[in-house]
Amino acid sequence: MRMRPIAAGLTAVAAAAAAMAFGAQASVAGLPGSGKPPIVIGDKNFAEEYILGALYAQALKAQGYSVTLKNNIGSSEITWKALQSGQIGLYPEYTGTLLSAIAEDTTNPTSASAAYSQASAYASKHGFTLLKATPFYDSDALAALSSYANKHHLTSIPQLKALGKSVILGAAPEFATRFEGLLGLKKDYGINPTFKPIAIGVSYEALDSGKVDVQDVFTTDGQLAAKGKYVILKDPDHVFGFQNVAPVVKTSLISKEGPAFAATLNKVDALLTRQAMQQMNKAVSLDQISPATVAAAFLKANHLG
Amino acid sequence: MILATGKAVVIPNFGGSAYSCERHNPLFCVDWVSRNWDTVLWPALRQHIVLTVIAVAIGFAISTALALAAYRVGWVERPVVVVTLVLYTIPSIALFELLVGIPWLGLSTATAEVALVSYTLLILFRNILTGLREVPEEVRDAARGMGMSARQMLWRVELPLALPAIIAGLRIATVTVISLATIAPLISVESLGTPIFAAISNNLFKTELIAAGGMAVLLAVAADGAFVLVQRRLAPWARVRVR
Amino acid sequence: MSAFGGAFTFIGRDGQVPGAPPLPSLVHLTLGTLEVSAIGIAIAGALAIPLGVWLGHIHRGSFIAINIGNLWRALPSLAVIAIAIAFLGIGLANVELALVVLAVPPIVTNAYVAIDRVERELVDAARGMGMSEWQIVRRVEIPLAVPLIFAGLRTAAVLVVATTTISALTGYSGTLGDIINNETSYHLSGVLGAAICVAGLALAVEAALAGAQRVLTPRAMRLR
Repeated sequence: MRMRPIAAGLTAVAAAAAAMAFGAQASVAGLPGSGKPPIVIGDKNFAEEYILGALYAQALKAQGYSVTLKNNIGSSEITWKALQSGQIGLYPEYTGTLLSAIAEDTTNPTSASAAYSQASAYASKHGFTLLKATPFYDSDALAALSSYANKHHLTSIPQLKALGKSVILGAAPEFATRFEGLLGLKKDYGINPTFKPIAIGVSYEALDSGKVDVQDVFTTDGQLAAKGKYVILKDPDHVFGFQNVAPVVKTSLISKEGPAFAATLNKVDALLTRQAMQQMNKAVSLDQISPATVAAAFLKANHLG
Repeated sequence: MILATGKAVVIPNFGGSAYSCERHNPLFCVDWVSRNWDTVLWPALRQHIVLTVIAVAIGFAISTALALAAYRVGWVERPVVVVTLVLYTIPSIALFELLVGIPWLGLSTATAEVALVSYTLLILFRNILTGLREVPEEVRDAARGMGMSARQMLWRVELPLALPAIIAGLRIATVTVISLATIAPLISVESLGTPIFAAISNNLFKTELIAAGGMAVLLAVAADGAFVLVQRRLAPWARVRVR
Repeated sequence: MSAFGGAFTFIGRDGQVPGAPPLPSLVHLTLGTLEVSAIGIAIAGALAIPLGVWLGHIHRGSFIAINIGNLWRALPSLAVIAIAIAFLGIGLANVELALVVLAVPPIVTNAYVAIDRVERELVDAARGMGMSEWQIVRRVEIPLAVPLIFAGLRTAAVLVVATTTISALTGYSGTLGDIINNETSYHLSGVLGAAICVAGLALAVEAALAGAQRVLTPRAMRLR
């Protein structure tokens, strides 16, 4: 049942990348992470989180840490619960999501750094620490097919108000109950679309098939690279908030793991520009390369692998 | 603190151009399957089998104990049927989510196993008990006449005669578990559902949907067929008869 | 056990969560579940009853009726939906396909067994009276087979209603699965509340089919 010979050549790239990622684990002695307590990293249920989880896990492994990665835990609330109960030690979270979905803080932060410090303060109060945040932010955004946007002269979200209930807005089910989702959009812009729950990952399918008129997407989606196909509606009041990513870590873990732990994660995060994230998302979601392979290649290119 | 945009970031070529089949997303990209067999599909299949075998084994042990108790002590049957029936009718997704809330289970393989085992109990308990009860009284009398003890009778007469019903129960239970194990990824436990959910979230990647879905179907069919063969070998006198 | 109390409160509020914007009502989603289930059972019945009756009438194909039935039942619904998505895309069609696959085996098996075991003397007597094969099936065999045919339909219906909840996992919405698969918005009490509704719906469908069975069973057979 093992791989057939013809497959050998095709797997060369993946195998080389995997060797980079896991080869480092073998030579743990002398590395800062060797002998430190094992770390369990969790990630949420979509491709960007898998990539972030893989990046953190592999970078830490390269430093000699013993790391387990628990993929695809669920939504923010469920992943946060897993963190609270000690089933995972850290996971990558978006600052704005932490505020709205976890802290249930509905004050609208005015800047990315304000969002970060509010989220950081909330985490500290609950025994967690927010390490440094990525330069990229991946906020929600409303996208429409260019044809639809042109027909209704749409460039920004407030213009949806005129269309009333006739506009069908698709998003993951939890979007309906999030402040940085339907709740905030209704309150701030007075729009009143018909909501249609759409599973994460089939957003573009829903848009392309005309099942929805406007779809909640993410600004770092690989699909948005297709020039001219989709229009992103402007969000002048920043209802979708500021969504830089930072690892949320159990505070007690940071001292136990020594200085190399936080330093490594910060080094990884500093590399994560929007362009880098878009390319990695594209590789995973459109080219179907595994998150582990993509992460390994990225870390290697940046000498963290 | 938010880190400054790193100027020195190197974005490697992830080799996307080599994956034009994947990007066009036709029904099946053979290359993807051979590239990802070792890292995605085989581990998922292996985990699926492990989940299933453990669940059926534990479910069988519990059900056998309960069925033997009910066979000897009449009043045991009713409460067991009520409890296992309730477990059986809880929608599977709800049961998984319900169990995650139990602190000492959480997002673990144990949670998945508890859910899977609970779905085997009704089927196995009923079939084992029915099998034991259908042993003809004359056969029992004959065994007693030969001076067998209750224990000897159980092992040499009653259980062998109940075997067709027991295997029929194992067959349904195994197939049910294989089906339900596909949703284990909802609680972060790997199974063949893992590549299915990954494909759904990665732009509905058809190759992976068909490969992983097909493997789950084949696994179920193979398990079903294996039990038919086992039954023919162990109980050749009984025709395959599952309702 | 507060989640159970919460589940009934949730049902009492018709599926609304305090503090959340209006959510699809529980009645609406329950009817959606019923609709999806009814379509699946109807298609499965339309395919499986004639097949089972025909095989039973000619007393052939017990292997097909029973073993293929078991094989089909072995197919994991999520896997069937996954494969169907690749061919049909997301939508009602692939959900119904999976439900039909699930529902056909018990219906075929029961219809086959029901007709097959109608006493030969009765059929021969009817033939002697000059009835055509079609008349024999319709006026002799089917009336006697009603209880077992319905037993198959009832088993299938319960399976189908419970399985509609899986459809939400694949992006099809409008059923109680939307709640069961969305613990985030509905919390555990909502998930349980919806699960109770699914179970209730399954029992109601069962009861409705049992009622139909009583009406359709020849009077002479009602007294057991």
